[in-house]
Amino acid sequence: MIHSLFLINASGDIFLEKHWKSVVSRSVCDYFFEAQERASEAENVPPVISTPHHCLLSVYRHKIFFVAVIQTEVPPLFVIEFLHRVVDTFQDYFGVCSEVMIKDNVVVVYEVLEEMLDNGFPLATESNILKELIKPPTILRTVVNTITGSTNVGDQLPTGQLSVVPWRRTGVKYSNNEAYFDVIEEIDAIIDKSGSTVTAEIQGVIDACVKLTGMPDLTLSFMNPRLLDDVSFHPCVRFKRWESERILSFIPPDGNFRLLSYHVSAQNLVAIPVYVKHNISFRDSSSLGRFEITVGPKQTMGKTIEGVMVTSQMPKGVLNMSLTPSQGTHVFDPVTKLLTWDVGKINPQKLPNLKGSMNLQAGTSKPDENPTINLQFKIQQLAISGLKVNRLDMYGEKYKPFKGIKYMTKAGKFQVRT
Amino acid sequence: MPYLGGEEALRDVRRALNNPHVQADPLRYRAAVLRVIRLMTQGADVSGLFAEMVKAGAAADVVQKKLVQLMPGIQEYVQQPLLSGLRDRASYVRRIAVLGCAKVHRLQGDTEVDGALVNELYSLLRDQDPIVVVNCLRALEEILKKEGGVVINKPIAHHLLNRMADLDQWGQSEVLAFLLRYRPRSEEELFNILNLLDGYLKSSSPSVVMAATKLFLVLAREYPHVQADVLILRSLPGHFSSHYKKFFCSYSEPHYIKCQKMEVLCELVNDENVHQVLEELKGYCTDISVELAQGAISAIGSIARTYTEQCVGILTELLGLQQEHITSAVVQSFRDLVWLCPQCTDAVCQALPGCEDIIQDSEGKQALIWLLGAHGEKVPNAPYVLEDFVESVKSEVFPAVKMELLTALVRLFLTRPAECQDMLGRLLYHCIEEEKDMSVRDRGLFYYRLLQSGVEEVKRVLCSPKSDPSLGLLEDRTEQPVNAWAAEFNTLAPIYGKARWALVTAQQPVEPCYAFSPCTDSGNRGTESLVSEGSKEVLKVHPDTGSLTLIPDVALTAEQFEKTWLSLDVSCQQCLPWGGTVHPDTIQTALHVVHIHTIAMSKAGVQPWKAYFIAQDDSGCLFLTELLLEAEGSGMQVAVKQSEAKPEALQAFMSVFRTAVGAVAGLKS
Repeated sequence: MIHSLFLINASGDIFLEKHWKSVVSRSVCDYFFEAQERASEAENVPPVISTPHHCLLSVYRHKIFFVAVIQTEVPPLFVIEFLHRVVDTFQDYFGVCSEVMIKDNVVVVYEVLEEMLDNGFPLATESNILKELIKPPTILRTVVNTITGSTNVGDQLPTGQLSVVPWRRTGVKYSNNEAYFDVIEEIDAIIDKSGSTVTAEIQGVIDACVKLTGMPDLTLSFMNPRLLDDVSFHPCVRFKRWESERILSFIPPDGNFRLLSYHVSAQNLVAIPVYVKHNISFRDSSSLGRFEITVGPKQTMGKTIEGVMVTSQMPKGVLNMSLTPSQGTHVFDPVTKLLTWDVGKINPQKLPNLKGSMNLQAGTSKPDENPTINLQFKIQQLAISGLKVNRLDMYGEKYKPFKGIKYMTKAGKFQVRT
Repeated sequence: MPYLGGEEALRDVRRALNNPHVQADPLRYRAAVLRVIRLMTQGADVSGLFAEMVKAGAAADVVQKKLVQLMPGIQEYVQQPLLSGLRDRASYVRRIAVLGCAKVHRLQGDTEVDGALVNELYSLLRDQDPIVVVNCLRALEEILKKEGGVVINKPIAHHLLNRMADLDQWGQSEVLAFLLRYRPRSEEELFNILNLLDGYLKSSSPSVVMAATKLFLVLAREYPHVQADVLILRSLPGHFSSHYKKFFCSYSEPHYIKCQKMEVLCELVNDENVHQVLEELKGYCTDISVELAQGAISAIGSIARTYTEQCVGILTELLGLQQEHITSAVVQSFRDLVWLCPQCTDAVCQALPGCEDIIQDSEGKQALIWLLGAHGEKVPNAPYVLEDFVESVKSEVFPAVKMELLTALVRLFLTRPAECQDMLGRLLYHCIEEEKDMSVRDRGLFYYRLLQSGVEEVKRVLCSPKSDPSLGLLEDRTEQPVNAWAAEFNTLAPIYGKARWALVTAQQPVEPCYAFSPCTDSGNRGTESLVSEGSKEVLKVHPDTGSLTLIPDVALTAEQFEKTWLSLDVSCQQCLPWGGTVHPDTIQTALHVVHIHTIAMSKAGVQPWKAYFIAQDDSGCLFLTELLLEAEGSGMQVAVKQSEAKPEALQAFMSVFRTAVGAVAGLKS
């Protein structure tokens, strides 16, 4: 299935390769470099590249290309999904997934890859089970290993493998039994010039951190389950139960996992929490342009909008900008023409505002393209769709667990056209 | 090896590995081994250090052993532990051992398939550990590649369906792919299976969703309404029209997604949303990226085939921006549009003046010159624009532009002779006397001689129709039946093209190695010569493993065959690559040689083409076979039914059948 894996950094060096079957020469990556050259930016490299004898499937994350070499027919998404899992696993093991970190831990990386794929087929990919096989490096363990000559490779076969529930290991024990659920919603929206919504959609997930002893059987119910559209579940969720009663019933995996993800796309249900007032004009005659934007709260159910960040790609004709923000800091990079304004919190009494002038290239016509304003923000304690968890019950075990639920809304791809 | 300084580093590390002082110090010894591994991960060829590494593996240090194991293979010693590993109590060991069988098989190269091992693996499909089950499928698929992979019969299919819930996402999506080979016997069974798999359409793993979707599409091939419930765009363009806003591009998406979304948007346009979609696409036309802007313009151009007036308005407006890449793309769209929708010719002709100063690229120039030549009578200044091109023809770099200019000017000469005669003369003179590009020179000479033969003759040759609206209708979204593309869904075939991908995957070493392959060398010789009429000798295939002996005479009438066929389940299904037409006689002869007898067959050239065959082995087991070629270019579908369930015999039979059919598949008429 997956023949080989190459890790390539932003400057085009192959800094790690791993082969699960025979060795594929790294010259196969030349086709990848060609495609990379053709794409203006790293993100634009197509995920599937065909070469005369192989097929290269890649993902680009943390400024590293993970390139899988394929020689037989495979479902492309299968491979892409697996590559993402590899990246997630590295992140889980080393905290960050970077070239330096991978090079520093090359042996653990190799051992992990060896376990994740066997003969090119996924073998152990749950971080739970992997960590039993190969312990993640810690400073203490590194020191101990150096002195005693022991290893990161676990000396026992993973016990959880024999459990009847494949995603949960047996014999889990905790002194504090806790179950936390985070409802995180990302809002994707395109707002047009006049401030009306072109499209808006909420992508929601419920991430859980469950540390419960034994084999607990949980049920989670919502106040308004009908809101959810296009739901997909962790394999642990009993689908029939959801279909008939709209209740999530499951034996949870141990530790962190994503319980479900969903969309809310009916336009009238998607509240837009912020608005942007803008006045950007490129005057034809003079070489000066006017620029002013104001950000304000809209439908926030009384919650504060935090972590606001405004970015905008200005047209090529803009040489420089002299702007004054009412709060926060701003940067304009005259080379990439990227304007970044770190706003922070929005105070409804005193709306943040960025105002000033632009120096335009003299002699050229006024730029045709209007800059798009991209917004990032966060709202704590609010799920913008209005989704609310009703209750969480536990069966199968006797103790009383500690339960917690947290809501958060973030901007996904939130853009305002001008 | 591309690794620079690799030799130096290798020599260094070899010295370290051989140094007795290093060997005496476990920490230093291990560090040296670690360096070898590091070199290996960077692509250096460390095979030269094999001996040193094997020695290093004999050390007492466990970590070092593990490291060494990362490098040298030790195939000679694995056979026995592997077999005992298959029966180990720890499921983890069994998982590794099962795949180990496939690895060993590959390392051994083209040896015979070990029948006992295959049986052992088939029985391990019943293992209690879900990953062992999936690994068995994977291993069998690899080991039995030459026989067409693992056979999914009814008991196996049902067993797998029952285990689906226990598998991890990778296992689920692979099992779903294996289940594609199974064809349920009754409607009830089919719907039971679909009900069981319903939940997987909602899995959180995209690959499982895709695999489940494909299975629905393929299994439900006789039930279009079920397919429609599952999807899908290409066959039901109207289905997604109300969701068109989902396909609006977001600023931060990668280019390939944006381009794909624009293509989809073109498909979704209807009377209600056309205004919004066009407004949206108009916005993309001024994107910073030239590629995207041009993509958006050609998207508007293709929508214009249905909503001509609105689109031409937008495109004309874009010309006002006077941007090089935009103008070029717009004029190219105009050219295609005028050909398909002649009613917009006047509007297009009014928009053209002024474009000539802006367009610089070859494609754009060609489009503009073509328009001026074909419709010059409607553009007042057409001769003068072309004259500018004629003036600068010496500095023109693209031969294609010169050719287009020649044709256009001759055409325009026919409608506006007075204005064109002089410059046509100059252009012909240049092309014939001064031009260095041969094809342009030849074209010049051709027109020169054509003009000598009189205006009427020129008109007859050049004044073909100026548009072809019927082409536009043909290109209108034709509904493609789901079954036409379901087989390629969720594969790499769309990217490679079916034929090429078959080539790519075929290049792996899968040379047939049957003990007896009756027809493989009959490729170029006439198959007739191979037929030894009335030969009564018994053909032996696979002498070691599942020995199959087909008897030369089977007494079964067509009626009996039909009855038996209907009463049995399909035990094996395959698709053989097939190019070109079918020659029933050749197939019949080829199969007769291996004692597979023809019951019935469609005539040559009929579509779909079908044929039925019968064969019997010495134990009395019947093999009933159906061949089906649905359309030219699709593969040959083979379905085999067996009167007694014997997987080994079935595999042997399949290999005989494939070889025989494969030999005639390559024959050209």
